Amino acid sequence: MILVALAPVIAVAIVGAAALALQAQRAGQRRLVGRRVDLPADLAGAAAPTLLYFTGEACTICHTAQTPALQRLAADAPPYALREVDVAVEPALARRYRVMSLPTTVVVDARGRVAAVNTGYASTERLREQLDEARRAVAA
Amino acid sequence: MKAIPFDRSVLKVNQTILMTCIAGAYFAGVFWRPAVAALPALALMMLAGAASPRTNLPRLLYARVLKPRHLVRPRVVEEDPAPHRFAQLVGGVFLAAASVAALLGAVGIAWILGWIVAALAFLNFAFDICVGCIMYAQLVRIGLFPLRRRPETT
Repeated sequence: MILVALAPVIAVAIVGAAALALQAQRAGQRRLVGRRVDLPADLAGAAAPTLLYFTGEACTICHTAQTPALQRLAADAPPYALREVDVAVEPALARRYRVMSLPTTVVVDARGRVAAVNTGYASTERLREQLDEARRAVAA
Repeated sequence: MKAIPFDRSVLKVNQTILMTCIAGAYFAGVFWRPAVAALPALALMMLAGAASPRTNLPRLLYARVLKPRHLVRPRVVEEDPAPHRFAQLVGGVFLAAASVAALLGAVGIAWILGWIVAALAFLNFAFDICVGCIMYAQLVRIGLFPLRRRPETT
């Protein structure tokens, strides 16, 4: 009977603890912005901004929306390096950028500093603005 | 390829049903013990909804009653519905486990599991934190999900 009476309290405590842990993880990802994170070896020293696109085979929205958005971006944006990261193939890289959901896109400027992190679908316009911002930050 | 238009209002309706029914049944259960039968009913609703959009009762309620009467406004976004369906499946499994616990006489455990689902629904409703969706992403990340790419159409 006591367990029945305490059921809401116990449940809220369990879920609350899980929510706090998730918030802490999200805050950790936001703290990446402005920091230098080691790029994959094939992109180290790139002169233009780099766009890391974290995706996976089972990520439907990646294939139906994010990839076409990146194709539109590639058609009319100034030069940038694009690296598609399959999180199942390169889990260490996904951990380095604290990727928790797909798609995630990360803009890294030419100095190797993280300029922006997008969790979930990011539009062509948003990515173009973030890449422009990354270029301006290096030029300034 | 086209983006998937996904109406988030369906999720909000689902979460509202879960929160009100679980809380209502819990407090009703103080006076009337058979109210615990709400748990298997909700489990069935969640599992049926995860199985197919055609058997998703909150979706039908939204599409046929709430939306046409402008009681709930559409909130269409470009989003993958798969993580939300997975979250619904997880909620259904929790409620099914709660039903089994109630059947075995462990009513306290049943209500803890039920309230966990209600609390998760509230978290998603109020703060857009979908714990099931995050679990889905982690399962994709470690490769536990079937690696089946949708055929690309031109």
